[in-house]
Amino acid sequence: MLSLDVQLQRGNFNLEASFALDKPVTGLFGSSGSGKSTLLNMVAGLARPDNGWLKLGNKHLFDSKRNINLSPNKRDVGVVFQDSQLFPHLSVTKNLHYGYNRTPKKQRRFEVIEIIDLLEIGHLLKKSPIQLSGGEKQRVGLGRALLASPKFLLLDEPLASLDQGLKGQILPFLKRVKDELELPMVYISHSIEEILHLTDHLVVINKGRILGAGHFYDVIKAEAVKGVANSMGLENILSVNVIGHDIESGHTIVESQGNILLLPLTDKFVKGDVCYISIRSNEISIAKHHISHISIQNQVKGTIISCTKNISYVALQVDIGTPIIIDITPKAFHELELNKNDEIYCLIKAQSFSFLGKLE
Amino acid sequence: MFDLSPAEYSAMMLSLKISLWSVGIILIPGIFMGWLLARHDFYGKSLLDGVLHLPLVLPPVVTGYLLLLLLGRQGFLGKWLYQQFDITLAFSWKGAVLATALMSFPLMVRSIRLSISMIDIKLEQASRSLGASALNCFFTVTLPLAIPGIITGSILAFARSLGEFGATITFVGNIEDETRTLPLAIYTYIQVPDGDAFAQRLLVISIVIALSALLFSGLIEKRAATWLGKK
Repeated sequence: MLSLDVQLQRGNFNLEASFALDKPVTGLFGSSGSGKSTLLNMVAGLARPDNGWLKLGNKHLFDSKRNINLSPNKRDVGVVFQDSQLFPHLSVTKNLHYGYNRTPKKQRRFEVIEIIDLLEIGHLLKKSPIQLSGGEKQRVGLGRALLASPKFLLLDEPLASLDQGLKGQILPFLKRVKDELELPMVYISHSIEEILHLTDHLVVINKGRILGAGHFYDVIKAEAVKGVANSMGLENILSVNVIGHDIESGHTIVESQGNILLLPLTDKFVKGDVCYISIRSNEISIAKHHISHISIQNQVKGTIISCTKNISYVALQVDIGTPIIIDITPKAFHELELNKNDEIYCLIKAQSFSFLGKLE
Repeated sequence: MFDLSPAEYSAMMLSLKISLWSVGIILIPGIFMGWLLARHDFYGKSLLDGVLHLPLVLPPVVTGYLLLLLLGRQGFLGKWLYQQFDITLAFSWKGAVLATALMSFPLMVRSIRLSISMIDIKLEQASRSLGASALNCFFTVTLPLAIPGIITGSILAFARSLGEFGATITFVGNIEDETRTLPLAIYTYIQVPDGDAFAQRLLVISIVIALSALLFSGLIEKRAATWLGKK
């Protein structure tokens, strides 16, 4: 498995990262400019750290003290690029064989036919990359990387340049690769939803620093990650059980800590699934009593744990079986005369919830 | 209709021979230099770039004269070449090749450098991560993708070589059957009474050669584009 401790200085950008991965799939989560691609390049041997070391299992990929720096072709690290980077002068078949032919027979882990079947790209073989759609390119890029028989796979925002509909066509293939090939990988993305499709283990990076690593639920709630999570609208994340779908009323019904919640109808999850949902802190309203005759579908009873006053808002921490954050204006805060330990109702529109992903 | 006199024929063939040789000897150094300047940063890069472009900005006569000083029989290098290897470049067609090569080298390098710097470096990174060594990556990814630039550079260099006058006449003189290329022959005919008709015939030949080269390059560029999957 991959472990590293590296430093790099490029102009004003300073990166210091150290972690060890022990799960089959890890998400590397960060906004653009956070340093996640730089980190990927260092692992792949495409960028050289100023100091530190990188290890894949027991194999040293880089060690500044021992003067080790394996060239990219000796690292057994595969890369799937954001824009697939298929060789435009070679056909799909030749692209697929590029890494395969350069791998000694004994080290080959997959056969071409096997990967073609897995990724369903048989009908594309004779085409030139220029004739492929974005999703097809990405599948061929994935196949090409796999056929070089890497011991570790880096996926650098493989879905970022695809539109929403196409993403749904690629994700199942990534899942297939993960489930059937037993190949450890790092999935780099700025989209938590994408990452959660594949894994709930992640490393959060921001401004060249690792803010947290571990299980999604623990990491995203960690103090250091708060700023990043909030900027992504992930102030509140709940893990919920899907109870069922009510097609007539247009809701998917879930349960969280004894609360029944009504969410917008979705076909992504079925009864019995455990999944994550998120709700922004400023999309929750507060009432002192239960309100009837109102369009808002969710009224969840809770207790105020703390009130933190800021200039433009007051952040309430409310226990609804699990703590959540609610932002209201100072005016609303004073008019309702809220205090610690008050019992209140949290009003949440069904449409304000977002599904993040399924828990494995 | 267009019977060439021996002198005209000799000038034409000499021009073709010198130009082809000139492109031939700068092709590989041109690719290397273009790649070096496009893909690497090193100490003294600006200086190298400047020196490389000197023939483009200096009056050709100056370049020719410098060559003569350096490589003439009395020149510092020329003397050594003559004594050690019995090679004389001045006033021979080989010297003309050297002069035209030097004059057209910057054009070749510029074109190749541009086309290499346009190749997405991530394609090369992909190649490396798929197991290709640096050299293998160069030959299987960089070089094939730079072919349009290499063709353009070669044609530019060929055309520049065909038209080379100043450096050639200064360094190797104007010797019939040895260094009198088309431009030199035209110049010579213009200088003599009744030479106009000959000069004009050579002028037509020059146009035909230059135009053929352009058409030919257009054709192979199109082929290359198809092959690179751009069309």
